[in-house]
Amino acid sequence: MSDQIEDAINREYEAGFVSNIESETFAPGLDEDVVRRISAIKGEPEWMLQWRLKAFRVWQKMEEPDWAHLNYPKIDYQSISYYSAPKSMADKPKSLDEVDPELLATYEKLGIPLHEQEMLAGVAVDAVFDSVSVVTTFREKLEEAGVIFCPISEAVHKYPDLVKQYLGKVVPQHDNYFAALNCAVFTDGSFVYIPKGTRCPMELSTYFRINEQNTGQFERTLIVADEGSHVSYLEGCTAPQRDENQLHAAVVELVALDDAEIKYSTVQNWYPGDENGKGGIYNFVTKRGICHTNAKISWTQVETGSAITWKYPSCILKGDNSVGEFYSVALTRGAQQADTGTKMIHLGKNTKSTIISKGISAGRSNNSYRGLVQMHSTAGKARNFTQCDSLLIGDKCGAHTFPYVESSNASAIVEHEATTSKVSDDQMFLCQQRGLDPEKAVSMIVNGFCKEVFKELPMEFAVEAGKLLEISLEGSVG
Amino acid sequence: MSAYLANAIEQGQLVNDWLTPKRLGSMALLQQTSWPTRKTESWKYTSVRSLEKKTFERGTTNDEHAFSSIAGLDAIELVFVNGVLQQLPEGLPAGLSIASLENVPESTQVWAREQFNVAKPSQHLFGLVNDVLADNGVIVDVAEGVTIDTPIHLVNLVSENNETQQRVIVRVGQNAKVTMIEHNTGSVESLVNHVAEYFVEESAELELYRFSFRTEKALTVSGAHVQLAKKAKLNATIVGFGSELSRMDLDVLHRGENAFAKINAIYLLAKGEHFDLHSTIEHEIGHCVTDETVRGIVGEKATAVFNGRIHIHRDAQKTLAELNNKNLLLTDDAKINTKPELEIYADDVRCAHGATVAELDKSALYYMTSRGVSRDTALVMLNFGFINALVDEMPNAVLAEWLRPILKERFVKMNAEL
Repeated sequence: MSDQIEDAINREYEAGFVSNIESETFAPGLDEDVVRRISAIKGEPEWMLQWRLKAFRVWQKMEEPDWAHLNYPKIDYQSISYYSAPKSMADKPKSLDEVDPELLATYEKLGIPLHEQEMLAGVAVDAVFDSVSVVTTFREKLEEAGVIFCPISEAVHKYPDLVKQYLGKVVPQHDNYFAALNCAVFTDGSFVYIPKGTRCPMELSTYFRINEQNTGQFERTLIVADEGSHVSYLEGCTAPQRDENQLHAAVVELVALDDAEIKYSTVQNWYPGDENGKGGIYNFVTKRGICHTNAKISWTQVETGSAITWKYPSCILKGDNSVGEFYSVALTRGAQQADTGTKMIHLGKNTKSTIISKGISAGRSNNSYRGLVQMHSTAGKARNFTQCDSLLIGDKCGAHTFPYVESSNASAIVEHEATTSKVSDDQMFLCQQRGLDPEKAVSMIVNGFCKEVFKELPMEFAVEAGKLLEISLEGSVG
Repeated sequence: MSAYLANAIEQGQLVNDWLTPKRLGSMALLQQTSWPTRKTESWKYTSVRSLEKKTFERGTTNDEHAFSSIAGLDAIELVFVNGVLQQLPEGLPAGLSIASLENVPESTQVWAREQFNVAKPSQHLFGLVNDVLADNGVIVDVAEGVTIDTPIHLVNLVSENNETQQRVIVRVGQNAKVTMIEHNTGSVESLVNHVAEYFVEESAELELYRFSFRTEKALTVSGAHVQLAKKAKLNATIVGFGSELSRMDLDVLHRGENAFAKINAIYLLAKGEHFDLHSTIEHEIGHCVTDETVRGIVGEKATAVFNGRIHIHRDAQKTLAELNNKNLLLTDDAKINTKPELEIYADDVRCAHGATVAELDKSALYYMTSRGVSRDTALVMLNFGFINALVDEMPNAVLAEWLRPILKERFVKMNAEL
């Protein structure tokens, strides 16, 4: 039994490999010139450059936040390269056949349904390989429905009015340190616009990969769901193994106009570092959505990777009767540290929010839930329910809960509950008595623990998430 | 730096007494501490601006204050007026010794100096101010195996423009038992900084009541810091009203196995009041139990702050800890900021916390008024119902009987403003 555990613990990260693709990469360092060069490479219009520069100037005056329950060496922002593009991009592939075969092989190894599988799965993929979107499929089918789904760098040229109208409106340039940095140096990401009354014909999906060594990845995603529309968006990540920590500071903005609905699901499995936490991804993400009248935004996340996770997908419930949801499973093991949660800002009347957070800590990891529920005086009859449960596996890990509840409306109801427990001996005994090995038993118990969140994920994603959890938990039982 | 803090440091440098060796460390820390702002996490919701530029007189006047002791309660009274102990009680029960801080016998000085600033965490700003300035208070020692049936009742009365820096150190010896009532009252512009440290030794029991009834312009910053040894028991009841600034820090440290802490806290805030309760429970060792229940009712334009932290250390296996915070908001401009925190480093533990915020049950109010109960009476009854369970749980029935009319009067005041 202990050999088996040892084996599993020492297992290499399965998605860990480096593809040899020549890249055009900036020398490390960050100044105004770097911002200008990124903008120039993208051929951006002047207003976009000014927007970036404004953000950069704001960022220079800001200080890196230190309130999170995280411990990591200070990041040297000058030692990071801020741009890297697969070289074969220079002569833009027109179709999948023209795509660098090695790149395709990378996706193949990860099991990304990019070819026909993707047709079967009904998934349109906007693949971000390092910083430039390489391939976008299903574009035509989406165009038929009037849905815009393209790299944000393309949207800046093709749909400047939409981008101007919504970019930075939910997460402004000065929002926080990492968001400001993203605003200045973001290289690419996805742009989605769903027209009025349209139900997006398929689930939209982006696979992110970080590939170039020492390259920070700064995506920017903007999703606008016009009145009465509906969209479900999937984001999944995995990254090859490497030794130096990689900074990742993404920004995701969602705009749900009246009666619209956005469902945003994430499975995050970036390289978590070795058993000492060396070499993992630093993930500092700002995700926020705004709900107008009767709109709904639902965040679902399964976080199993990254050495450091700093992530608080939030909802601003501005319109009356709007709904915000947050379902999260965060698993940390080894030396991983996660400080994640959500913010629900209730401004409108009869707004509702639900927060279900499941934290699982194993090994020597630390897993924190940090949430804010704010009932403004205008949020008459608003309602929030929060449940955050933590599961501890092993006696060297930590599970923490920091919920902020601020209510200034008497008719608003806020409920928060949190529990912490371990996988009980009784449960293990019952499973083992019925012939399950301890690893299977833990995996089953954990899956049951996370069921409420998994059921919110689209089906294919739920299967992947369950599998991911199982792989991640291997070797955690003792 | 704020004028208040600068003045405190200046005055602290003049203090020279038997506690000075311990005060020096705090002075060094205090000099490095900056005045809290909204960005200071532990003062995020409580502004200390009303104190920032103030300076008060200390212990110079000895005014008359009307004070009546608790009816029906046979207690050992310690009445402080502007920090001056009016009379050191005589004829104390065997095994109990009480010394005034200004006049401590040398034998007591030895242990009291050792315990000074041990149960209190070092990061409290006003705790540090108290460390360097405390010039009044009592040292209470309950000998091993002695049960003191008569509660010790400590009262602080402060005149306008006065400030008191009070320190209380209580040692409850092995298998001993004692009841302490700390009672702060008044409404005139003044400041009370009242810090108490309790050391409950093996199998000893402490019954602690803290009534913070200072309202309006009476500023209060206070701390109760309890250290529990093996099998020690704490049963604490806290009742707080708000004022322009009222802040209480409660720390309980489980230092020995099988220690038990039951904490009930109530805060009732009338128009425009502010009350901030920060409780921290440290489980440093295994097999201990914490059961904390906090209920609050917040009236018009009042703000309540509750921060309840439970910290389970690596070695604290088999801990049972529960924290429950329920709040009622009476009007739309009442505010509650609550943050129940769990920080857990041991796996074989059972911990839970919950927090709710809501308004009074309208259907219950309707039910009562439709049966002929006047709206005012119904409101008082419903408010009372919300906190009555905690009053019922007070181990001292006489005290509970004394408290009920005070709370009722409070509810009438809170509701009259609606």
